[in-house]
Amino acid sequence: MTEQKRSRVLMEVRDLQMHFPVNHGLLSRKHSVLKAVDGVSFSLLAGETFGLVGESGCGKTTVGRTLVRLYKPTAGEILFDGTDIAPLAEREVLPYRRRMQMIFQDPYASLNPRMTVSSIIGEPMRLQGFPEAEIRERVRELISQVGLKSDHLSRYPHEFSGGQRQRIGIARALATRPEFIVCDEPISALDVSIQAQVINMLEELQEKLGITYLFISHDLSMVSHISHRVGVMYLGHLVEMADMRELYTHNLHPYTQALMSAVPIADPDVAAASQRIVLQGDVPAPIDPPPGCPFRSRCRYCTGACAETMPEMREVSPGHFLACHVKG
Amino acid sequence: MALLEVSGLRTTFHIGVGTVQAVRGISFHVDKGEFIGIVGESGSGKSVTMLSVMGLLPQYAEVKADSIRFDGRELSQMSPRELRSLHGKEIGMIFQDPMTSLNPLFTVENQMVEPLRIHLGMSRERARLRALELLHQVEIPNPEQRLRQYPHEFSGGMRQRVMIAIAIACSPKMVIADEPTTALDVTIQAQILELLENLKREMNTSVVMITHDLGVIASMCSRILVMYGGVICEEGSVRDIFYRARHPYTWGLLNSIPRIHHDSHEKLVPIRGTPPDMLKPPEGCPFAPRCQYCMPVCRRYMAPPTDLGDGHLVHCHLMHPKAPKVERGGLQHD
Ligand SMILES: Nc1ncnc2c1ncn2[C@@H]1O[C@H](COP(=O)(O)OP(=O)(O)OP(=O)(O)O)[C@@H](O)[C@H]1O
Ligand SMILES: Nc1ncnc2c1ncn2[C@@H]1O[C@H](COP(=O)(O)OP(=O)(O)OP(=O)(O)O)[C@@H](O)[C@H]1O
Ligand code: SF4
Ligand SMILES: [Mg+2]
Ligand SMILES: [Mg+2]
Repeated sequence: MTEQKRSRVLMEVRDLQMHFPVNHGLLSRKHSVLKAVDGVSFSLLAGETFGLVGESGCGKTTVGRTLVRLYKPTAGEILFDGTDIAPLAEREVLPYRRRMQMIFQDPYASLNPRMTVSSIIGEPMRLQGFPEAEIRERVRELISQVGLKSDHLSRYPHEFSGGQRQRIGIARALATRPEFIVCDEPISALDVSIQAQVINMLEELQEKLGITYLFISHDLSMVSHISHRVGVMYLGHLVEMADMRELYTHNLHPYTQALMSAVPIADPDVAAASQRIVLQGDVPAPIDPPPGCPFRSRCRYCTGACAETMPEMREVSPGHFLACHVKG
Repeated sequence: MALLEVSGLRTTFHIGVGTVQAVRGISFHVDKGEFIGIVGESGSGKSVTMLSVMGLLPQYAEVKADSIRFDGRELSQMSPRELRSLHGKEIGMIFQDPMTSLNPLFTVENQMVEPLRIHLGMSRERARLRALELLHQVEIPNPEQRLRQYPHEFSGGMRQRVMIAIAIACSPKMVIADEPTTALDVTIQAQILELLENLKREMNTSVVMITHDLGVIASMCSRILVMYGGVICEEGSVRDIFYRARHPYTWGLLNSIPRIHHDSHEKLVPIRGTPPDMLKPPEGCPFAPRCQYCMPVCRRYMAPPTDLGDGHLVHCHLMHPKAPKVERGGLQHD
């Protein structure tokens, strides 16, 4: 898709927060909150793929689930095509549901084993109250769109391979002709040779239908392949965001730099020539986090300011955003 | 010099509905101090190959081999008891999920001290000191305190480091690492890979690394075995496999992964179809049903290995002098 075509803002997220209460047991008086997502802002352009990367537990899935309103955010705005859907009650969200869908990580667990492929794919339409005849016709169209055959429709999920199941999941997500799909680790359960089949399919669907994707993955090579822009998350915060090429060639945040250098490169000469930055320690838990930059416990550039205030996201060059006191 | 030499290994599992032909006649060797990688799709027989060598498969598995020589001894003739005495002493093991191989009911101290006492006859006190030293070596902070804790009190990356500490405790000649970093985040993976590299450098241990991650293989290994459908389809040095591959499956594998250092939006080229069912594997080349260069002979007979020099072996009928000359298509570099 060309650059001019991706200019309309489909979704604008402002200072999104999703906190979960932490249970310390019945007798404890302690109340803590787990700040899974703690003030994230970005926008999605219609027809683009926005990649979201970061380590396990940094809040990627929570962002995705909140955007499609599977969670009601603690605070913040989610402007979808101009309307703030963040404060809407469950009943009021329903009409938006058909325009937003989600594809899940595990093609084994996310399909109900007792439902036929046909009823799985038709389910989102049924929830929206579409007439049966229309559902039946649409399901036939979808099954061929994802490269399966109509005689697969009466079968059950366990009769399919991982890649085929993921296509069934994609067909289900497409059923209500959504404008926006959250793809949460859609290929990480698949074999390398099958991953490319699914990625190519997602790309072709985007070209044909202009769908906007939020693509969540910890596989940076795949994210860099499919995304137009990428956001890097750490401990509930977005720390850097830019166009994919820019992020690869001019990354500034110390965490982004470590992450990029840690990706093993499938090219022995390039791998031998590159330097791996090894971070010490583990990702801390986002429960009652101390003030300051979320990355400071593992950062080698950390200064006094980093312990005091949270660095604000600022635009360091056109379209390149960074939250760091030291770099940039 | 070869530390491990396996020839004609076949492993089958007799299960209710039939016989799974997991490994179908493979031969390979591992040199002293060598870092060797085994890659291939899920179910291609990577884990079963090494578990067969170690004699670690369940009762209903049948392992046949012309020979399995390890450091001058014939393992295929050993009793299960003799084999077990090698584990943890001469051959260390690291698995994907350390939770399944660490015992949740015992402290880390217990699990580290026992093998040292059994295999090396150390006193409890000496074994404890050695355990502390090992935890230090794998960069676990506060080893004194950590030794007293249980596996669930460790993060995933730390558990994997404890596994490595146990695997190297008796200074084994060979370490088998089966997907050691697959469950970990990239920055934690980088810590573990660094540790394995140091091991090799400092102790000249041979490492057999099983993984489906070509990036890990490219940055760690000097030689690679590519497996498909229970056989080795190509083997060679890391540069043979990444820059001079000749087997269509190896090409397919290389073409289906994106490269972060490349200008993106080159299309990936997936391998069409799905891997074979090992209950009824194809008669000829296992890759034939998915291969775009498949010839009639491929469906009937497995291809013999062709030696392209310096240990680069290709099992493909395209290597026959009369076969059509084909080149790797798809996204390429260089
Ligand atoms: N429903 C929930 N209730 C309580 N805590 C939650 C809930 N969902 C997520 N969390 C916590 O929020 C944090 C962020 O989780 P999230 O699943 O969004 O991370 P992620 O980036 O998707 O990680 P992964 O890469 O492992 O999928 C974690 O600490 C997680 O334990
Ligand atoms: N204990 C077992 N009983 C029966 N079949 C088994 C057993 N272990 C493995 N197999 C089968 O043997 C074949 C080879 O399995 P193996 O575990 O070696 O694959 P792998 O290459 O290690 O795959 P992965 O990348 O998924 O770990 C598969 O078809 C598998 O289903
Ligand atoms: S032997 Fe035949 S089917 Fe197998 S990889 Fe070579 S050309 Fe393809
Ligand atoms: Mg997640
Ligand atoms: Mg395995």
